[in-house]
Amino acid sequence: MCHNDRSGASGLSLTSLDAMRKGGKRGPAVVPGHPEQSMLYRVISGGQPKMPLQGEPFSKEQVEVVRQWIQDGAPWTAPQQWWSLRPLVKPQVPRVESSWVRTPIDAFVLAQLRVKGLQESAEADRRTLIRRLTFDLHGLPPSPEEVDAFVADSSPDAYERVVDRLLASPRYGERWGRHWLDAAHYGESHGYDKDKPRLNAWPYRDYVIESFNADKPYAKFVKEQLAGDVLFPGDPKAIVGLGFIASGPWDFVGQAELREGTTDKKLTRLLDRDDMVTVTMSTLVSMTAHCARCHDHKFDPILQSDYYSLQSVFAGVDRSDRTFDDDPEVFRHRNQLLAKRRPLSSALRVLDDEAAEISTEEIARLDAKVAEWKQVNATDPANRSAEIKRNIAEAAVQRATLVKAALPTKSVLEMERLHAEISAIDKEIAQLPKPRLVYAASNYFEPQGTFRYAAEPRIVNVLARGSVDNPGALALPGALTAVSGLKARFDLDPAAPEGVRRAALARWITDPNNMLAWRSIVNRVWHYHFGAGIVDSPNDFGHMGSLPSNPGLLDWLATEFRDGGGSFKKLHKLIVMSSVYRQASSGNAANARIDGENRYLWRANRQRLDAESLRDAMLAASGKLDLTMGGPSVQQFFFKDDHSPVYDYARFDPDNPANFRRSIYRFIVRSVPDPLMDRFDCPDVSMVTAKRTTTITAIQALAQMNNPFVLKQAEHLADRIQSMSSAADEQVQLVYRVLLQRKPRAEELATLRDYLGRNGLPNLCRLMLNTNEFIFVD
Amino acid sequence: MTSRRQFLWGYGGGLGGIALAGLLGESGLLADAPAGLHHPAKAKRVIQLFMSGAASQCDTFDYKAKLIEKNGEKFDPGGKVELFQSSPGAVMKSPWDWKQHGNSGKWVSGLVPHLASCVDDMAFVHSMVSKSNVHGPATFMQNTGFILPGYPAMGAWVSYGLGSMNKDLPTFVVLPDSRGYAPNGPGNWTAGFLPAAHQGTMIRASSPNPIYDLFPPKSASYLKPESEADTLRVLNQLNSRHLVSRAEDSRLEARIASYELAAKLQLSAPEVMDISKESKATLELYGIGDKVTDDFGRNCLVARRMLERGVRFVQVWSGADNGFPRRNWDSHEDIAKDHADMAAGMDKPAAALIKDLKARGMLDDTIVHWATEFGRMPCSQGSKGRDHNPFAFTTWFAGGGFKGGVSYGASDEWSYKVADKPTYCYDTHATMLHLLGIDHKRLTYRHNGIDRRITDVFGEVIPELIA
Repeated sequence: MCHNDRSGASGLSLTSLDAMRKGGKRGPAVVPGHPEQSMLYRVISGGQPKMPLQGEPFSKEQVEVVRQWIQDGAPWTAPQQWWSLRPLVKPQVPRVESSWVRTPIDAFVLAQLRVKGLQESAEADRRTLIRRLTFDLHGLPPSPEEVDAFVADSSPDAYERVVDRLLASPRYGERWGRHWLDAAHYGESHGYDKDKPRLNAWPYRDYVIESFNADKPYAKFVKEQLAGDVLFPGDPKAIVGLGFIASGPWDFVGQAELREGTTDKKLTRLLDRDDMVTVTMSTLVSMTAHCARCHDHKFDPILQSDYYSLQSVFAGVDRSDRTFDDDPEVFRHRNQLLAKRRPLSSALRVLDDEAAEISTEEIARLDAKVAEWKQVNATDPANRSAEIKRNIAEAAVQRATLVKAALPTKSVLEMERLHAEISAIDKEIAQLPKPRLVYAASNYFEPQGTFRYAAEPRIVNVLARGSVDNPGALALPGALTAVSGLKARFDLDPAAPEGVRRAALARWITDPNNMLAWRSIVNRVWHYHFGAGIVDSPNDFGHMGSLPSNPGLLDWLATEFRDGGGSFKKLHKLIVMSSVYRQASSGNAANARIDGENRYLWRANRQRLDAESLRDAMLAASGKLDLTMGGPSVQQFFFKDDHSPVYDYARFDPDNPANFRRSIYRFIVRSVPDPLMDRFDCPDVSMVTAKRTTTITAIQALAQMNNPFVLKQAEHLADRIQSMSSAADEQVQLVYRVLLQRKPRAEELATLRDYLGRNGLPNLCRLMLNTNEFIFVD
Repeated sequence: MTSRRQFLWGYGGGLGGIALAGLLGESGLLADAPAGLHHPAKAKRVIQLFMSGAASQCDTFDYKAKLIEKNGEKFDPGGKVELFQSSPGAVMKSPWDWKQHGNSGKWVSGLVPHLASCVDDMAFVHSMVSKSNVHGPATFMQNTGFILPGYPAMGAWVSYGLGSMNKDLPTFVVLPDSRGYAPNGPGNWTAGFLPAAHQGTMIRASSPNPIYDLFPPKSASYLKPESEADTLRVLNQLNSRHLVSRAEDSRLEARIASYELAAKLQLSAPEVMDISKESKATLELYGIGDKVTDDFGRNCLVARRMLERGVRFVQVWSGADNGFPRRNWDSHEDIAKDHADMAAGMDKPAAALIKDLKARGMLDDTIVHWATEFGRMPCSQGSKGRDHNPFAFTTWFAGGGFKGGVSYGASDEWSYKVADKPTYCYDTHATMLHLLGIDHKRLTYRHNGIDRRITDVFGEVIPELIA
């Protein structure tokens, strides 16, 4: 935009109503109520509009919008007036007279249904309820026995006991952890060219699961993921949370092969931090800060300088393996040693870099020879020989001697001193038990090619048009200026270590007065329970996102959650205990005419199983489900490490026990998705996913019919049923009981008995795995 | 309330779209759209040939007398020369001789003699620029318009925008090089944040199961081909019964229809891949049977058969990853050897495709696009190779409303940097979409707060390229 606060072409800024009324050199741009007197309207309308200077003139419709807006008095929303930026105040629960109301949630929803002329739905039957609850809280079907017990239980707290049982089970953390991993765009390979596996990402996945199972307070959960190393220095688990920052893709070639100082290197780093900013702000405060990389946000009050302040928060970290120890004492000791080692290796690096610049004629000749040998090695396999390899190794030694001779004595001595100190520390480190590794945000790691830790946080400038070639003002750590009541720039000591920046952002996000964060998380949880959020754009609470369908409810939940200690389990219980949640999913023609999309929740939303739940439900039915928790991810593909590794799902035995673990434990390759999961809309983990899409395609039908994994599970299910009964009728009944948790109707029984006779039990099981009733949850 | 169109787009496109179109009584929304989405279309379909690893412009179509004249001298174009891997070597002329071809008198190197015979049908852009010098990001850029992973490929956008033209094949099909995936792998044909139905369906023409799960594996011995119809019939019966009390939920109905379409795909996919009934002359034209050209030729011929049957967007890859021995166009070490190998496999089939489409009257409404992620340096790397050049490279088009025998934009006298009309993939994407009847600025999808388009916030249609 040309007319902003800084550039202000013709002295005019169009960034606020005040600025427009004041106008520029040529007078006020906007005179509310009087389009014809408003310069803004005059320059963009007429036969040959003067503005915009570049690009196409505005369309008739666009000009009319402006005219109408000025005519209406130019209403302007100040940041604080935008719904998501208003301070969070606990609203009054509406008073609604109805026995349907069990919880405040019901009061909020029913009050709105009444206003809209919508009729709430009756409670779903018990089989539907327990199926819904179990898939929702565990991502698994209930066992037939669990269904029987609940259906038969006439005590008034029967439902509540099911809820409590489900929330207490470790299956809960596996289900809700999976949701969090979507939001965090967690993957286990780097992506891009080469797409190397990331073998130590999984401890973060386990950390997420454990955090949900332990009902970790949300503020702590967030703080650990952004700055666990700084805010909880004695706790090894907190470091593992830093996997959040590192969960996205990483450009191996750009990071490790490009030379320092090149434009592409700068671009690689800019985009690497961009990913960190995007995942943090989208997931934790539902703001699209990443839209302000090239200019101030076009729709929301997010400044370009806000964006670069956020980049500055992450300017001291990269994505890398980092060590931790289960034993806090060892952990503390190791960190002390590493803290001592870091400045030494930084000093040594400066000297090494100087040495690398040294060149003499002799060194140049040697380098040229080595280049030749390497060329032969790389391109001419026939002439590749041990001799060449030896030559290259010998040349390296020779080179070091030549460089040393060319260096000033002072530098050589200093290098020797540093080497000695470092190796003394390394000896101490070697005494410690072997550390564990997690792929996480890190400010100290072993170099890999040209990928090296930042000794000091890297300089971040505001970039004109987002171009690394146009650095502007220095950006200091901070967050969003539009969040009133919180300091948008952190005013940190410039000499403070980088972690202080992340800690400041973590505090800013989790501050009780950060209205965005608390609204964001309760909406996200609501979204997963109902299939749609109160705000249907869980990662965007700005002007381009949706408006809350029930603002009072959202704020009530946000304050309740915040003030109740940020307990997810309490929030889940609050939600699933409500009458709103317990409604049937059946249609109602009169309601549908008013609210066909069910935004106001006059019924439950029928949901198609997501890829993981579908896969896990098949394993549960076949009896093969292996409930082992945690540990390295299971690779459900043929793997060959190469220049570009090969991941081949077709060359993998579907009966390999690795396939029987819950889907959250599968190894997620960024570039080559699992074909079955992919068909069922498992998202591309290069992107933050707030909401999964649900598609229905022929290719998907083919997968469920023919995928080797599915076919194997059908076979295992058949074996399981066969071992329980050999009578046809009973077999059909058992398949229904296991897969659908109900008895077949008479005509279903008759049809399938005949089918079974013609095609056998494995075919029957395969058929049933393809039914809509199995794949959708009412 | 969600409009029917949004609903179709949300759940469909690709085969899902067909499912729903069928379901809604051939509503016409997804019908063959000669009218285009925003304006009359000149092209209905696209075939894109992607040269993975970066095909050299100065060894193919970007003729520079200066390189011949200054061969072996110090490369000094003025200013700092920043290369990907190496320090700049000496000026290096192409190992191949150059000749003028066709009525347009286009200079083409001896590396691609067959394509040289098609120059009067081709529109060259010699002023392409990439925003990245690295294969992964640059390959993403040419495919998706962004140098980051996770954005939808052009084929996905076209599927989203125009939907399907057929009832029993996917809308967007990708044929990878049989030696393996290019940098980024299937990430190059992802639907990104668009509904998954729009992603490229990968067809591995040389594999026994060319589409994942098209047929059950042999290991599932309990399945008998003759019982499949029975299974589908009973499944339909159960699903219809389930639907009775849930009639308002069109997703359930769509899922029922999806099984009918799956059965159709099982019939049509093998048919489209079976080239045995093609004439001997055709097989010869594509170089099928000759070891050097068989692989790419087969893919090109299968691609033509798909286009004939209404597949909207086909992408064929020449080149796998950047490993050793070289199996793509990334000729850092020895351009004469490695480019010769790659071009020998690509040249004849690519030219065959243009000629064949033309002979069948399909070239008029089919865009042929020859693409690569960036170019190569006019100076040497080592002594015989060329490093990456993101500052100037060549792409060309044929058919589908593109003008024949034209060259647009120019690199400098070295073929080092663009000298005239710098062009990004934004502009070529915009131009292709324009010919498909789509205004690139209006083909958008809201994701994470931004109305995304393949051209980001850029892109100008290039009128000089349009017939």
